[in-house]
Amino acid sequence: MWKEWKTEWIKVKYRGIGWMLLAFLALIVLWTLWVMGDIPKEQAADGFRMMFFQIPMMDTILMPAMIAMLASRLCDAEVKSSTMKLLCTMEEKGRLFDMKVLTGAFYLALFVAAETVFIFIQSKISSFTSPLDPAQLLYFIAQVYIVSLAILIFQVVLSFFFENQILPLAAGIFGSFVGLFSWFFRDGILKKCFLWGYYSELCFIRNVWDPDTRIVTYYDAPFDVLSFCLLLGLLAVGYGTGKVLFLRKEI
Amino acid sequence: MNYMIETSGLGKQYKGKYSVKNLNLKVRPGCVYGFLGPNGAGKSTTMKMLLGLVKPSQGDILLFEKELQENNRLELLKATGSLIESPSYYGHLSGRENLEIVQTLKQVPKKEIDEVLRIVRLEGQQKKKVREYSLGMKQRLGLAAALLGRPKLLLLDEPTNGLDPAGIQEMRELISELPGHYGMTVMVSSHLLGEIDQMATDVGIIDKGKMIYQGSLKKLHHRARGSIHIHVLNPGTAIRILEEQGEVCELNEGELVFEDRTEEQIAKLVAILAGNGAQITRVMECQKSLEDIFLKLTGKQVSL
Repeated sequence: MWKEWKTEWIKVKYRGIGWMLLAFLALIVLWTLWVMGDIPKEQAADGFRMMFFQIPMMDTILMPAMIAMLASRLCDAEVKSSTMKLLCTMEEKGRLFDMKVLTGAFYLALFVAAETVFIFIQSKISSFTSPLDPAQLLYFIAQVYIVSLAILIFQVVLSFFFENQILPLAAGIFGSFVGLFSWFFRDGILKKCFLWGYYSELCFIRNVWDPDTRIVTYYDAPFDVLSFCLLLGLLAVGYGTGKVLFLRKEI
Repeated sequence: MNYMIETSGLGKQYKGKYSVKNLNLKVRPGCVYGFLGPNGAGKSTTMKMLLGLVKPSQGDILLFEKELQENNRLELLKATGSLIESPSYYGHLSGRENLEIVQTLKQVPKKEIDEVLRIVRLEGQQKKKVREYSLGMKQRLGLAAALLGRPKLLLLDEPTNGLDPAGIQEMRELISELPGHYGMTVMVSSHLLGEIDQMATDVGIIDKGKMIYQGSLKKLHHRARGSIHIHVLNPGTAIRILEEQGEVCELNEGELVFEDRTEEQIAKLVAILAGNGAQITRVMECQKSLEDIFLKLTGKQVSL
Protein backbone atom coordinates (compact mmCIF):
# COMPACT_ATOMS: atom_id res chain seq x y z
CA MET A 1 0.00 0.00 0.00
CA TRP A 2 2.94 2.32 0.71
CA LYS A 3 4.15 2.31 -2.89
CA GLU A 4 0.68 3.24 -4.20
CA TRP A 5 0.44 6.01 -1.60
CA LYS A 6 3.85 7.31 -2.65
CA THR A 7 2.86 7.46 -6.32
CA GLU A 8 -0.24 9.51 -5.51
CA TRP A 9 2.04 12.21 -4.12
CA ILE A 10 4.13 12.19 -7.29
CA LYS A 11 0.94 12.56 -9.34
CA VAL A 12 -0.34 15.60 -7.41
CA LYS A 13 2.89 17.52 -7.97
CA TYR A 14 2.36 20.90 -9.69
CA ARG A 15 -1.42 20.51 -9.40
CA GLY A 16 -1.64 23.50 -7.05
CA ILE A 17 -3.95 21.68 -4.64
CA GLY A 18 -2.31 23.26 -1.61
CA TRP A 19 -2.78 26.76 -3.05
CA MET A 20 -6.39 26.01 -3.86
CA LEU A 21 -7.09 24.91 -0.30
CA LEU A 22 -5.31 27.98 1.02
CA ALA A 23 -7.47 30.22 -1.16
CA PHE A 24 -10.66 28.67 0.23
CA LEU A 25 -9.31 28.88 3.75
CA ALA A 26 -8.52 32.55 3.18
CA LEU A 27 -12.14 33.17 2.17
CA ILE A 28 -13.38 31.54 5.37
CA VAL A 29 -10.86 33.48 7.45
CA LEU A 30 -11.80 36.79 5.83
CA TRP A 31 -15.50 36.17 6.33
CA THR A 32 -15.02 35.18 9.95
CA LEU A 33 -12.73 38.12 10.66
CA TRP A 34 -15.39 40.43 9.22
CA VAL A 35 -18.20 38.83 11.23
CA MET A 36 -16.17 38.73 14.45
CA GLY A 37 -14.56 42.09 13.87
CA ASP A 38 -17.16 44.25 15.55
CA ILE A 39 -18.70 41.99 18.18
CA PRO A 40 -19.53 43.84 21.39
CA LYS A 41 -17.66 42.80 24.51
CA GLU A 42 -20.71 41.14 26.03
CA GLN A 43 -20.87 38.80 23.01
CA ALA A 44 -17.25 37.73 23.46
CA ALA A 45 -18.50 35.10 25.87
CA ASP A 46 -20.30 33.54 22.90
CA GLY A 47 -17.13 33.67 20.81
CA PHE A 48 -16.56 29.95 20.41
CA ARG A 49 -20.26 29.37 19.75
CA MET A 50 -20.12 31.99 17.01
CA MET A 51 -17.12 30.29 15.47
CA PHE A 52 -18.75 26.84 15.62
CA PHE A 53 -21.73 28.33 13.84
CA GLN A 54 -20.04 30.60 11.29
CA ILE A 55 -17.41 28.17 10.07
CA PRO A 56 -19.79 25.28 9.25
CA MET A 57 -22.02 27.82 7.53
CA MET A 58 -19.14 29.00 5.36
CA ASP A 59 -18.09 25.39 4.85
CA THR A 60 -21.58 24.65 3.54
CA ILE A 61 -21.15 27.27 0.85
CA LEU A 62 -17.50 26.72 -0.02
CA MET A 63 -16.62 23.10 0.73
CA PRO A 64 -18.80 21.39 -1.91
CA ALA A 65 -17.19 23.45 -4.68
CA MET A 66 -13.74 23.06 -3.12
CA ILE A 67 -14.12 19.30 -2.73
CA ALA A 68 -15.36 19.00 -6.33
CA MET A 69 -12.20 20.78 -7.47
CA LEU A 70 -10.04 18.67 -5.19
CA ALA A 71 -11.55 15.39 -6.45
CA SER A 72 -11.26 16.57 -10.02
CA ARG A 73 -7.59 17.43 -9.58
CA LEU A 74 -6.93 14.06 -7.99
CA CYS A 75 -8.72 12.00 -10.62
CA ASP A 76 -8.73 13.86 -13.92
CA ALA A 77 -5.14 12.92 -14.69
CA GLU A 78 -6.14 9.25 -14.84
CA VAL A 79 -9.28 10.00 -16.81
CA LYS A 80 -7.75 12.36 -19.36
CA SER A 81 -4.41 10.66 -19.83
CA SER A 82 -5.81 7.11 -19.94
CA THR A 83 -3.22 5.92 -17.44
CA MET A 84 -5.75 3.57 -15.82
CA LYS A 85 -4.86 0.70 -18.15
CA LEU A 86 -1.20 1.11 -17.31
CA LEU A 87 -1.72 1.53 -13.55
CA CYS A 88 -4.07 -1.44 -13.34
CA THR A 89 -1.31 -3.74 -14.59
CA MET A 90 0.76 -2.72 -11.56
CA GLU A 91 -1.75 -2.11 -8.79
CA GLU A 92 -5.17 -3.40 -7.81
CA LYS A 93 -7.94 -1.35 -9.37
CA GLY A 94 -9.73 -1.03 -6.05
CA ARG A 95 -6.51 0.14 -4.42
CA LEU A 96 -6.35 3.03 -6.87
CA PHE A 97 -9.82 4.15 -5.79
CA ASP A 98 -8.84 3.85 -2.13
CA MET A 99 -5.70 5.90 -2.69
CA LYS A 100 -7.63 8.70 -4.35
CA VAL A 101 -10.05 8.82 -1.42
CA LEU A 102 -7.20 8.59 1.06
CA THR A 103 -5.23 11.40 -0.58
CA GLY A 104 -8.33 13.58 -0.66
CA ALA A 105 -9.08 12.67 2.96
CA PHE A 106 -5.56 13.71 3.91
CA TYR A 107 -6.00 17.13 2.28
CA LEU A 108 -9.38 17.53 4.01
CA ALA A 109 -7.81 16.63 7.35
CA LEU A 110 -5.23 19.38 6.79
CA PHE A 111 -7.99 21.81 5.90
CA VAL A 112 -10.09 21.02 8.98
CA ALA A 113 -6.95 21.17 11.12
CA ALA A 114 -6.21 24.64 9.69
CA GLU A 115 -9.78 25.72 10.50
CA THR A 116 -9.31 24.46 14.06
CA VAL A 117 -6.07 26.38 14.44
CA PHE A 118 -7.83 29.44 13.11
CA ILE A 119 -10.51 29.09 15.80
CA PHE A 120 -7.78 29.25 18.45
CA ILE A 121 -6.12 32.23 16.79
CA GLN A 122 -9.44 34.05 16.49
CA SER A 123 -10.19 33.34 20.17
CA LYS A 124 -7.01 35.25 21.05
CA ILE A 125 -7.66 38.08 18.59
CA SER A 126 -11.22 38.66 19.82
CA SER A 127 -10.41 37.75 23.45
CA PHE A 128 -13.19 35.23 23.92
CA THR A 129 -14.18 35.30 27.59
CA SER A 130 -15.75 31.88 27.94
CA PRO A 131 -13.57 28.76 27.85
CA LEU A 132 -13.57 26.30 24.97
CA ASP A 133 -15.63 23.17 25.53
CA PRO A 134 -13.39 20.30 24.26
CA ALA A 135 -16.45 18.18 23.46
CA GLN A 136 -17.75 20.92 21.18
CA LEU A 137 -14.41 21.14 19.45
CA LEU A 138 -14.48 17.40 18.82
CA TYR A 139 -18.05 17.62 17.56
CA PHE A 140 -17.03 20.42 15.24
CA ILE A 141 -14.09 18.46 13.80
CA ALA A 142 -16.14 15.27 13.41
CA GLN A 143 -19.05 17.12 11.87
CA VAL A 144 -17.09 19.05 9.26
CA TYR A 145 -14.68 16.24 8.47
CA ILE A 146 -17.15 13.40 8.06
CA VAL A 147 -19.56 15.45 5.93
CA SER A 148 -16.67 16.59 3.73
CA LEU A 149 -15.38 13.04 3.43
CA ALA A 150 -18.77 11.77 2.28
CA ILE A 151 -18.94 14.55 -0.32
CA LEU A 152 -15.38 13.73 -1.40
CA ILE A 153 -16.29 10.09 -2.12
CA PHE A 154 -19.29 11.23 -4.16
CA GLN A 155 -17.12 13.65 -6.12
CA VAL A 156 -14.31 11.12 -6.69
CA VAL A 157 -16.83 8.73 -8.26
CA LEU A 158 -18.20 11.52 -10.47
CA SER A 159 -14.73 12.63 -11.51
CA PHE A 160 -13.77 9.10 -12.49
CA PHE A 161 -16.93 8.60 -14.52
CA PHE A 162 -16.98 11.84 -16.49
CA GLU A 163 -14.17 12.71 -18.84
CA ASN A 164 -15.51 16.24 -18.97
CA GLN A 165 -14.83 17.54 -15.47
CA ILE A 166 -17.40 20.32 -15.82
CA LEU A 167 -20.12 17.91 -14.73
CA PRO A 168 -18.53 16.98 -11.37
CA LEU A 169 -17.74 20.66 -10.80
CA ALA A 170 -21.36 21.57 -11.59
CA ALA A 171 -22.42 18.94 -9.04
CA GLY A 172 -20.19 20.69 -6.50
CA ILE A 173 -21.77 24.07 -7.18
CA PHE A 174 -25.23 22.50 -7.01
CA GLY A 175 -24.18 21.06 -3.63
CA SER A 176 -23.19 24.50 -2.40
CA PHE A 177 -26.65 25.85 -3.21
CA VAL A 178 -28.44 22.89 -1.68
CA GLY A 179 -26.24 23.18 1.41
CA LEU A 180 -26.92 26.87 1.73
CA PHE A 181 -30.67 26.42 1.41
CA SER A 182 -30.56 23.56 3.91
CA TRP A 183 -29.88 26.14 6.64
CA PHE A 184 -33.39 27.39 6.00
CA PHE A 185 -35.05 23.96 5.81
CA ARG A 186 -37.19 22.98 8.73
CA ASP A 187 -35.84 20.18 10.91
CA GLY A 188 -37.07 16.95 9.44
CA ILE A 189 -36.48 14.34 6.83
CA LEU A 190 -35.79 16.81 3.98
CA LYS A 191 -32.63 18.05 5.65
CA LYS A 192 -31.38 14.49 5.98
CA CYS A 193 -31.97 13.73 2.31
CA PHE A 194 -29.14 15.86 0.96
CA LEU A 195 -25.53 15.08 1.72
CA TRP A 196 -24.58 18.76 1.55
CA GLY A 197 -27.25 19.59 4.12
CA TYR A 198 -25.43 17.75 6.89
CA TYR A 199 -23.20 20.72 7.67
CA SER A 200 -26.31 22.50 8.93
CA GLU A 201 -28.06 19.35 10.15
CA LEU A 202 -25.17 18.51 12.47
CA CYS A 203 -24.48 22.04 13.63
CA PHE A 204 -24.82 22.00 17.41
CA ILE A 205 -25.12 25.77 17.79
CA ARG A 206 -28.40 27.54 17.23
CA ASN A 207 -29.17 31.23 17.34
CA VAL A 208 -32.00 33.59 17.98
CA TRP A 209 -32.12 37.01 16.40
CA ASP A 210 -33.97 39.76 18.16
CA PRO A 211 -35.12 42.24 15.49
CA ASP A 212 -35.68 44.99 18.08
CA THR A 213 -32.24 44.93 19.64
CA ARG A 214 -30.64 43.47 16.49
CA ILE A 215 -28.70 41.12 18.73
CA VAL A 216 -28.04 37.49 17.84
CA THR A 217 -27.88 35.14 20.78
CA TYR A 218 -26.14 31.81 20.30
CA TYR A 219 -26.99 28.76 22.36
CA ASP A 220 -26.01 25.10 22.50
CA ALA A 221 -28.18 22.45 20.94
CA PRO A 222 -27.78 18.75 21.67
CA PHE A 223 -25.45 16.96 19.30
CA ASP A 224 -27.61 15.08 16.80
CA VAL A 225 -26.32 11.54 17.27
CA LEU A 226 -29.01 10.03 15.05
CA SER A 227 -28.11 12.25 12.08
CA PHE A 228 -24.43 11.62 12.72
CA CYS A 229 -25.01 7.85 12.61
CA LEU A 230 -27.08 8.32 9.46
CA LEU A 231 -24.19 10.26 7.93
CA LEU A 232 -21.74 7.50 8.87
CA GLY A 233 -24.10 5.05 7.19
CA LEU A 234 -24.20 7.23 4.07
CA LEU A 235 -20.42 7.40 4.13
CA ALA A 236 -20.11 3.62 4.29
CA VAL A 237 -22.74 3.04 1.61
CA GLY A 238 -21.22 5.77 -0.59
CA TYR A 239 -17.76 4.26 -0.27
CA GLY A 240 -19.00 0.72 -0.96
CA THR A 241 -21.15 1.75 -3.92
CA GLY A 242 -18.46 4.03 -5.34
CA LYS A 243 -15.87 1.30 -5.16
CA VAL A 244 -18.12 -1.30 -6.77
CA LEU A 245 -18.98 1.13 -9.58
CA PHE A 246 -15.31 1.93 -10.03
CA LEU A 247 -14.36 -1.76 -10.13
CA ARG A 248 -17.05 -2.43 -12.73
CA LYS A 249 -15.90 0.45 -14.90
CA GLU A 250 -14.47 -0.90 -18.14
CA ILE A 251 -10.92 0.20 -18.82
CA MET B 1 9.26 -22.98 -21.30
CA ASN B 2 7.20 -23.83 -24.40
CA TYR B 3 5.14 -20.69 -24.59
CA MET B 4 5.24 -17.31 -22.88
CA ILE B 5 1.56 -16.85 -23.66
CA GLU B 6 -0.87 -19.62 -24.32
CA THR B 7 -4.61 -19.21 -24.48
CA SER B 8 -7.21 -21.85 -25.02
CA GLY B 9 -10.73 -21.12 -26.15
CA LEU B 10 -10.37 -17.49 -25.10
CA GLY B 11 -13.46 -15.42 -25.77
CA LYS B 12 -15.09 -12.15 -24.84
CA GLN B 13 -18.71 -11.32 -25.32
CA TYR B 14 -20.17 -7.83 -25.26
CA LYS B 15 -23.97 -7.64 -25.18
CA GLY B 16 -24.31 -11.11 -26.62
CA LYS B 17 -21.89 -10.46 -29.46
CA TYR B 18 -18.45 -12.00 -29.56
CA SER B 19 -15.59 -9.57 -29.81
CA VAL B 20 -13.08 -12.40 -29.48
CA LYS B 21 -14.03 -16.02 -30.00
CA ASN B 22 -12.29 -19.29 -29.25
CA LEU B 23 -8.80 -17.84 -29.54
CA ASN B 24 -5.87 -20.21 -29.15
CA LEU B 25 -2.84 -18.01 -28.99
CA LYS B 26 0.67 -19.39 -28.73
CA VAL B 27 3.62 -17.07 -28.27
CA ARG B 28 7.05 -18.67 -28.18
CA PRO B 29 9.83 -17.34 -25.92
CA GLY B 30 12.21 -14.91 -27.59
CA CYS B 31 10.06 -14.13 -30.60
CA VAL B 32 8.47 -10.95 -31.88
CA TYR B 33 4.88 -12.05 -32.31
CA GLY B 34 2.99 -9.85 -34.72
CA PHE B 35 -0.70 -9.79 -33.93
CA LEU B 36 -2.27 -8.65 -37.11
CA GLY B 37 -5.84 -7.81 -37.94
CA PRO B 38 -8.07 -5.11 -39.35
CA ASN B 39 -9.48 -2.43 -37.05
CA GLY B 40 -12.10 -3.88 -34.73
CA ALA B 41 -10.84 -7.44 -35.18
CA GLY B 42 -10.39 -7.94 -31.44
CA LYS B 43 -6.66 -7.27 -31.02
CA SER B 44 -6.93 -4.74 -28.19
CA THR B 45 -9.59 -6.77 -26.37
CA THR B 46 -7.31 -9.81 -26.55
CA MET B 47 -4.35 -7.85 -25.21
CA LYS B 48 -6.43 -6.38 -22.42
CA MET B 49 -7.57 -9.88 -21.49
CA LEU B 50 -3.94 -11.02 -21.41
CA LEU B 51 -3.23 -8.23 -18.93
CA GLY B 52 -6.31 -8.97 -16.86
CA LEU B 53 -7.81 -5.57 -17.65
CA VAL B 54 -10.83 -7.20 -19.26
CA LYS B 55 -12.38 -10.33 -17.84
CA PRO B 56 -12.71 -13.10 -20.45
CA SER B 57 -16.18 -14.52 -20.98
CA GLN B 58 -14.62 -17.92 -21.61
CA GLY B 59 -11.34 -19.74 -21.95
CA ASP B 60 -8.04 -19.77 -20.10
CA ILE B 61 -4.88 -17.73 -20.26
CA LEU B 62 -1.47 -19.08 -19.36
CA LEU B 63 1.31 -16.56 -18.84
CA PHE B 64 4.73 -18.07 -18.28
CA GLU B 65 2.89 -21.42 -18.08
CA LYS B 66 0.86 -20.28 -15.09
CA GLU B 67 -2.85 -19.70 -15.27
CA LEU B 68 -3.73 -16.02 -15.07
CA GLN B 69 -6.22 -15.50 -12.29
CA GLU B 70 -7.36 -12.53 -10.25
CA ASN B 71 -5.28 -13.57 -7.24
CA ASN B 72 -1.99 -14.00 -9.13
CA ARG B 73 -2.52 -11.39 -11.86
CA LEU B 74 -0.21 -8.72 -10.47
CA GLU B 75 2.43 -11.27 -9.55
CA LEU B 76 2.53 -12.61 -13.12
CA LEU B 77 2.38 -9.13 -14.60
CA LYS B 78 5.51 -8.14 -12.68
CA ALA B 79 7.47 -9.79 -15.45
CA THR B 80 5.38 -8.08 -18.12
CA GLY B 81 5.51 -4.63 -19.66
CA SER B 82 2.69 -3.17 -21.68
CA LEU B 83 1.73 -0.31 -23.92
CA ILE B 84 -1.95 -0.48 -24.71
CA GLU B 85 -3.58 1.71 -27.34
CA SER B 86 -2.70 5.40 -26.92
CA PRO B 87 0.30 6.30 -24.77
CA SER B 88 -0.48 6.67 -21.06
CA TYR B 89 1.16 9.61 -19.35
CA TYR B 90 0.67 12.42 -16.86
CA GLY B 91 1.08 15.52 -18.99
CA HIS B 92 1.79 17.84 -16.05
CA LEU B 93 4.78 15.74 -14.98
CA SER B 94 8.16 15.38 -16.64
CA GLY B 95 9.14 12.24 -18.49
CA ARG B 96 11.33 11.20 -15.59
CA GLU B 97 8.58 11.77 -13.02
CA ASN B 98 6.23 9.67 -15.12
CA LEU B 99 8.77 6.88 -15.05
CA GLU B 100 9.22 7.34 -11.29
CA ILE B 101 5.55 6.43 -10.84
CA VAL B 102 6.04 3.18 -12.75
CA GLN B 103 9.37 2.52 -11.05
CA THR B 104 7.76 2.95 -7.61
CA LEU B 105 4.84 0.69 -8.46
CA LYS B 106 7.09 -1.96 -10.00
CA GLN B 107 9.53 -1.56 -7.12
CA VAL B 108 12.61 -1.58 -9.29
CA PRO B 109 15.84 0.33 -8.60
CA LYS B 110 15.80 4.01 -9.55
CA LYS B 111 18.87 3.61 -11.75
CA GLU B 112 16.77 1.61 -14.21
CA ILE B 113 15.04 4.85 -15.17
CA ASP B 114 18.30 6.11 -16.69
CA GLU B 115 18.75 2.84 -18.51
CA VAL B 116 15.31 2.80 -20.14
CA LEU B 117 15.61 6.48 -21.00
CA ARG B 118 18.82 5.63 -22.80
CA ILE B 119 17.22 2.70 -24.64
CA VAL B 120 14.39 4.88 -25.97
CA ARG B 121 16.76 7.79 -26.52
CA LEU B 122 14.93 10.26 -24.28
CA GLU B 123 17.75 11.16 -21.86
CA GLY B 124 17.91 14.70 -23.19
CA GLN B 125 14.17 15.27 -22.81
CA GLN B 126 13.62 13.65 -19.42
CA LYS B 127 13.04 16.90 -17.52
CA LYS B 128 10.58 18.31 -20.02
CA LYS B 129 6.84 18.18 -19.23
CA VAL B 130 5.29 15.31 -21.16
CA ARG B 131 2.49 17.50 -22.51
CA GLU B 132 5.22 19.28 -24.47
CA TYR B 133 6.44 16.01 -26.02
CA SER B 134 5.67 15.06 -29.61
CA LEU B 135 3.54 11.98 -30.14
CA GLY B 136 6.61 9.98 -31.06
CA MET B 137 8.32 10.97 -27.83
CA LYS B 138 5.20 10.07 -25.85
CA GLN B 139 5.17 6.64 -27.49
CA ARG B 140 8.84 6.18 -26.67
CA LEU B 141 8.15 7.19 -23.09
CA GLY B 142 5.35 4.61 -23.02
CA LEU B 143 7.83 2.03 -24.26
CA ALA B 144 10.34 3.13 -21.60
CA ALA B 145 7.67 2.61 -18.93
CA ALA B 146 6.95 -0.83 -20.33
CA LEU B 147 10.66 -1.69 -20.27
CA LEU B 148 11.14 -0.77 -16.61
CA GLY B 149 11.89 -3.82 -14.52
CA ARG B 150 13.35 -5.65 -17.53
CA PRO B 151 10.18 -7.64 -18.25
CA LYS B 152 10.38 -11.03 -19.88
CA LEU B 153 7.30 -10.28 -21.92
CA LEU B 154 6.24 -7.08 -23.62
CA LEU B 155 2.73 -6.46 -24.93
CA LEU B 156 2.53 -3.54 -27.33
CA ASP B 157 -0.77 -2.57 -28.85
CA GLU B 158 -0.40 -0.58 -32.06
CA PRO B 159 2.74 1.20 -30.82
CA THR B 160 3.27 3.09 -34.07
CA ASN B 161 -0.24 4.52 -34.27
CA GLY B 162 -0.20 8.17 -35.25
CA LEU B 163 3.57 8.38 -35.67
CA ASP B 164 5.25 9.98 -38.65
CA PRO B 165 7.38 7.74 -40.94
CA ALA B 166 10.59 8.55 -39.04
CA GLY B 167 8.90 7.78 -35.72
CA ILE B 168 7.51 4.52 -37.10
CA GLN B 169 10.94 3.48 -38.30
CA GLU B 170 12.52 4.35 -34.96
CA MET B 171 9.88 2.44 -33.00
CA ARG B 172 10.24 -0.58 -35.29
CA GLU B 173 13.99 -0.63 -34.79
CA LEU B 174 13.59 -0.38 -31.03
CA ILE B 175 11.09 -3.24 -30.93
CA SER B 176 13.10 -5.47 -33.25
CA GLU B 177 16.19 -5.03 -31.06
CA LEU B 178 14.50 -6.09 -27.82
CA PRO B 179 14.59 -9.90 -28.12
CA GLY B 180 18.23 -9.91 -29.26
CA HIS B 181 19.58 -7.35 -26.82
CA TYR B 182 17.46 -7.98 -23.74
CA GLY B 183 16.05 -11.47 -24.23
CA MET B 184 12.48 -10.24 -24.20
CA THR B 185 9.52 -11.78 -25.93
CA VAL B 186 7.45 -9.15 -27.68
CA MET B 187 3.84 -9.36 -28.76
CA VAL B 188 3.01 -6.42 -30.98
CA SER B 189 -0.33 -5.75 -32.56
CA SER B 190 -0.93 -3.78 -35.72
CA HIS B 191 -3.34 -3.42 -38.57
CA LEU B 192 -0.40 -2.65 -40.82
CA LEU B 193 0.78 -5.71 -42.65
CA GLY B 194 4.02 -4.14 -43.86
CA GLU B 195 4.91 -3.20 -40.31
CA ILE B 196 4.44 -6.71 -38.95
CA ASP B 197 6.38 -8.05 -41.92
CA GLN B 198 9.37 -5.91 -40.91
CA MET B 199 9.30 -6.60 -37.18
CA ALA B 200 7.85 -9.99 -36.46
CA THR B 201 9.23 -13.50 -36.50
CA ASP B 202 5.88 -15.11 -35.72
CA VAL B 203 2.49 -13.92 -36.74
CA GLY B 204 -1.12 -14.38 -35.71
CA ILE B 205 -3.85 -13.04 -37.95
CA ILE B 206 -7.17 -12.30 -36.32
CA ASP B 207 -10.37 -11.29 -38.01
CA LYS B 208 -13.83 -10.79 -36.49
CA GLY B 209 -12.46 -12.13 -33.22
CA LYS B 210 -11.23 -15.40 -34.70
CA MET B 211 -7.67 -16.51 -35.35
CA ILE B 212 -7.38 -17.28 -39.03
CA TYR B 213 -3.65 -17.89 -39.23
CA GLN B 214 -0.94 -18.53 -36.68
CA GLY B 215 2.63 -19.53 -37.33
CA SER B 216 6.00 -18.27 -38.29
CA LEU B 217 6.27 -15.39 -40.71
CA LYS B 218 8.59 -17.58 -42.78
CA LYS B 219 5.78 -20.08 -43.31
CA LEU B 220 3.43 -17.30 -44.25
CA HIS B 221 5.96 -16.10 -46.77
CA HIS B 222 6.24 -19.66 -48.03
CA ARG B 223 2.49 -19.60 -48.63
CA ALA B 224 3.13 -16.48 -50.57
CA ARG B 225 5.22 -18.44 -53.10
CA GLY B 226 3.68 -17.65 -56.37
CA SER B 227 3.51 -18.92 -59.89
CA ILE B 228 6.19 -19.43 -62.56
CA HIS B 229 5.75 -17.39 -65.70
CA ILE B 230 7.62 -18.48 -68.84
CA HIS B 231 7.59 -16.02 -71.70
CA VAL B 232 7.98 -17.58 -75.13
CA LEU B 233 8.00 -16.11 -78.64
CA ASN B 234 5.96 -19.02 -80.01
CA PRO B 235 3.29 -19.86 -77.42
CA GLY B 236 1.33 -22.15 -79.78
CA THR B 237 4.36 -24.43 -80.20
CA ALA B 238 5.09 -24.30 -76.50
CA ILE B 239 1.53 -25.34 -75.59
CA ARG B 240 1.71 -28.25 -78.02
CA ILE B 241 5.02 -29.43 -76.51
CA LEU B 242 3.58 -29.25 -73.03
CA GLU B 243 0.41 -31.11 -74.00
CA GLU B 244 2.54 -33.90 -75.47
CA GLN B 245 4.35 -34.08 -72.10
CA GLY B 246 1.07 -34.11 -70.18
CA GLU B 247 1.84 -30.76 -68.49
CA VAL B 248 -0.97 -28.42 -67.55
CA CYS B 249 -0.49 -24.66 -67.74
CA GLU B 250 -2.40 -21.48 -68.29
CA LEU B 251 -1.69 -19.10 -71.16
CA ASN B 252 -1.82 -15.49 -70.02
CA GLU B 253 -0.84 -12.67 -72.38
CA GLY B 254 1.69 -14.79 -74.20
CA GLU B 255 3.11 -16.25 -71.00
CA LEU B 256 2.84 -19.80 -69.79
CA VAL B 257 1.79 -19.78 -66.15
CA PHE B 258 2.59 -22.71 -63.86
CA GLU B 259 1.42 -23.02 -60.23
CA ASP B 260 3.39 -24.57 -57.36
CA ARG B 261 6.46 -26.04 -59.00
CA THR B 262 9.66 -27.12 -57.36
CA GLU B 263 13.04 -25.93 -58.58
CA GLU B 264 13.66 -29.30 -60.24
CA GLN B 265 10.31 -29.28 -61.99
CA ILE B 266 10.99 -25.80 -63.34
CA ALA B 267 14.41 -26.86 -64.63
CA LYS B 268 12.85 -29.88 -66.35
CA LEU B 269 10.10 -27.77 -67.95
CA VAL B 270 12.58 -25.27 -69.32
CA ALA B 271 14.74 -28.07 -70.72
CA ILE B 272 11.78 -29.74 -72.45
CA LEU B 273 10.52 -26.51 -73.93
CA ALA B 274 13.89 -25.34 -75.13
CA GLY B 275 14.80 -28.79 -76.45
CA ASN B 276 11.65 -28.98 -78.56
CA GLY B 277 11.87 -25.58 -80.21
CA ALA B 278 10.03 -23.20 -77.87
CA GLN B 279 11.78 -19.85 -77.97
CA ILE B 280 12.07 -18.88 -74.31
CA THR B 281 12.91 -15.25 -73.54
CA ARG B 282 12.18 -15.00 -69.82
CA VAL B 283 11.45 -17.22 -66.80
CA MET B 284 9.98 -15.35 -63.84
CA GLU B 285 8.66 -16.20 -60.39
CA CYS B 286 5.69 -14.00 -59.49
CA GLN B 287 5.25 -13.92 -55.71
CA LYS B 288 1.90 -13.35 -54.07
CA SER B 289 2.18 -10.43 -51.75
CA LEU B 290 1.34 -10.86 -48.08
CA GLU B 291 -1.53 -8.56 -48.80
CA ASP B 292 -2.91 -11.06 -51.29
CA ILE B 293 -2.72 -13.76 -48.64
CA PHE B 294 -4.28 -11.49 -46.05
CA LEU B 295 -7.06 -10.65 -48.47
CA LYS B 296 -7.59 -14.31 -49.18
CA LEU B 297 -7.71 -15.09 -45.47
CA THR B 298 -9.85 -12.19 -44.31
CA GLY B 299 -11.66 -11.23 -47.47
CA LYS B 300 -11.06 -7.56 -46.80
CA GLN B 301 -8.67 -4.79 -47.61
CA VAL B 302 -5.76 -4.13 -45.28
CA SER B 303 -3.44 -1.19 -44.90
CA LEU B 304 0.07 -1.60 -46.21
